[in-house]
Amino acid sequence: MPAYHSAFNELSDLRSVGGMALLPIKTRVRGPAPIADASAEDIVDEALNLFRANVLFRNFEIKGDADRVLIYLILFITECLGKLARNPSLREAEKVLGTLALGNFAIPGDATFPLNALYSPPASKMDADLLRQYLSQLRQEMAIRLPNRIYENDKPGKWWMCFQKRKFMNKTL
Amino acid sequence: MSRLAPVVIDNGTGFTKMGFAGNNDPSFIQPTVIATNPTTSNQSSNLAAKRGAEDLDFYIGDEAVANSKTYALNYPIRHGQIDNWDHMERYWEQSIFKYLRCEPEDHSFLLTEPPLNPPENRENTAEIMFESFNVQGLYIAVQAVLALAASWTSSKVSEQTLTGTVIDSGDGVTHVIPVAEGYVIGSSIKSVPIAGRDLTSFVQNLLRERGENMIPAEDSMTVAQRIKEQYSYVCPDIVKEFQKYEQEGDRYFKTYEGVHSVTGQPYTVDVGFERFLAPEIFFNPEIASSDYLTPLPEVVDTVVQTSPIDVRRGLYKNIVLSGGSTMFENFGKRLQRDIKRIADTRLRRSEVLSGGRMQSTPMEVNVISHKKQRYAVWFGGSLLASTGEFHSYCHTKAEYDEVGPSIARHNRVFGTVG
Repeated sequence: MPAYHSAFNELSDLRSVGGMALLPIKTRVRGPAPIADASAEDIVDEALNLFRANVLFRNFEIKGDADRVLIYLILFITECLGKLARNPSLREAEKVLGTLALGNFAIPGDATFPLNALYSPPASKMDADLLRQYLSQLRQEMAIRLPNRIYENDKPGKWWMCFQKRKFMNKTL
Repeated sequence: MSRLAPVVIDNGTGFTKMGFAGNNDPSFIQPTVIATNPTTSNQSSNLAAKRGAEDLDFYIGDEAVANSKTYALNYPIRHGQIDNWDHMERYWEQSIFKYLRCEPEDHSFLLTEPPLNPPENRENTAEIMFESFNVQGLYIAVQAVLALAASWTSSKVSEQTLTGTVIDSGDGVTHVIPVAEGYVIGSSIKSVPIAGRDLTSFVQNLLRERGENMIPAEDSMTVAQRIKEQYSYVCPDIVKEFQKYEQEGDRYFKTYEGVHSVTGQPYTVDVGFERFLAPEIFFNPEIASSDYLTPLPEVVDTVVQTSPIDVRRGLYKNIVLSGGSTMFENFGKRLQRDIKRIADTRLRRSEVLSGGRMQSTPMEVNVISHKKQRYAVWFGGSLLASTGEFHSYCHTKAEYDEVGPSIARHNRVFGTVG
């Protein structure tokens, strides 16, 4: 049984940019992603659920455009956990992660993006902007949900932090 | 003439199991380790060259471990095969005289050997047994065959057959061995470099990564081993398992309580995901090692598929577990499910390829767990040696004197050489 794949690979009528599907997310952050049904799980929930299992794996076969979003989010979670290593309080954590999400980041096609072999660069300047906004939206939403999920007694839960040093697919963002 | 019960000794890489035939459990289970006195033993390895009693100055098993501070520990068996014959001879000497306390000339002996053991090793064994110990009779059995025989005690076994696939996982290595009517199919044996020791070091790693810094460094290996043995089980799906831990933490997270071996201070360790992640490396080796990637169910399937076609159904139908590392809860269940899945996929594909013209009977996959699994090999030996015919299978001392060590190449049960 290899690593787990995204259930959103099944959805076919989605637009995709740079090999990543534009998936609906439940969010108040503004951006290009469609708004998802509030009662269903979206890709951010899925990434949080699959994170601890998938992060153990070094190999991952991409089965669809949603998988590329999943990979990106899992690597981003690892990066976030790295920022929480010094046990900040929940309030501080939200601040730190918010800055991280909004800070400078590479998108597929940039020289510094670690997964260029698996993603395709955006076709035009317009697509590149769209991709950047979409990723930024995903990052901000994850930065909001992650601390709420993993905090216990105003400290990041050790049952999450223990996966901080694992490298999914041997990559980091 | 009444005969005394034969002695059954199963020397494994990690542990030696010894006792008398007809018993349900071995009388002694102890590490296969011998502690020799470093000041005398390195002068010469030749016993005859020594004067005095230096050659008697050694301990085996648990006593050897207890004396490890002043004596040098040696492991005479590596990867299932005897590596140091001098140490092994002395190990047997104490096994017989100090532990089992029997007169070897009054008993027949049943020893075990790993699959693909070179006949020279068997000759050496016979030489030691007959010439040093003067045993009454000797039979050397293949471990896998004994494990098959041991599974007959399970209620799931409908017929007593010597055809089946044995998964033998101990401390050092895991073997998958196909056996057809008592013959080991040597060309299809596969070994998996994942066994008890790897699981232990994986648990140790997880504990360290999580920063369980209450564990004293010198005990970390033992703690990891205890946690593995006491709490681990096999889960059907890791993502679902992670969710269960998140929702019902109280039920799943455990605490291990230990005592510092030097200071005597008690300490506690939280036990979490390693409970199901440790045995998971049999099914997903990727999560622990970067160079070995084939899951155990796939290895079993390859082994069966490379065996002669007319025994494959028999091999799928009777997959027998043996050894301590197969003792995890639900190990057999998960293995059966995964192998069945692989076999079914293959059947379906061949049906599609034939254009629906060929219908095959579904493949029956059975993984047999039983109560004697941990010491299956020894127990199988005990069963075999307690049968009436056992003495006629043994090579006797008189025959050995007549023929010489090469007699050990011949097996009377199967009437073959080698």
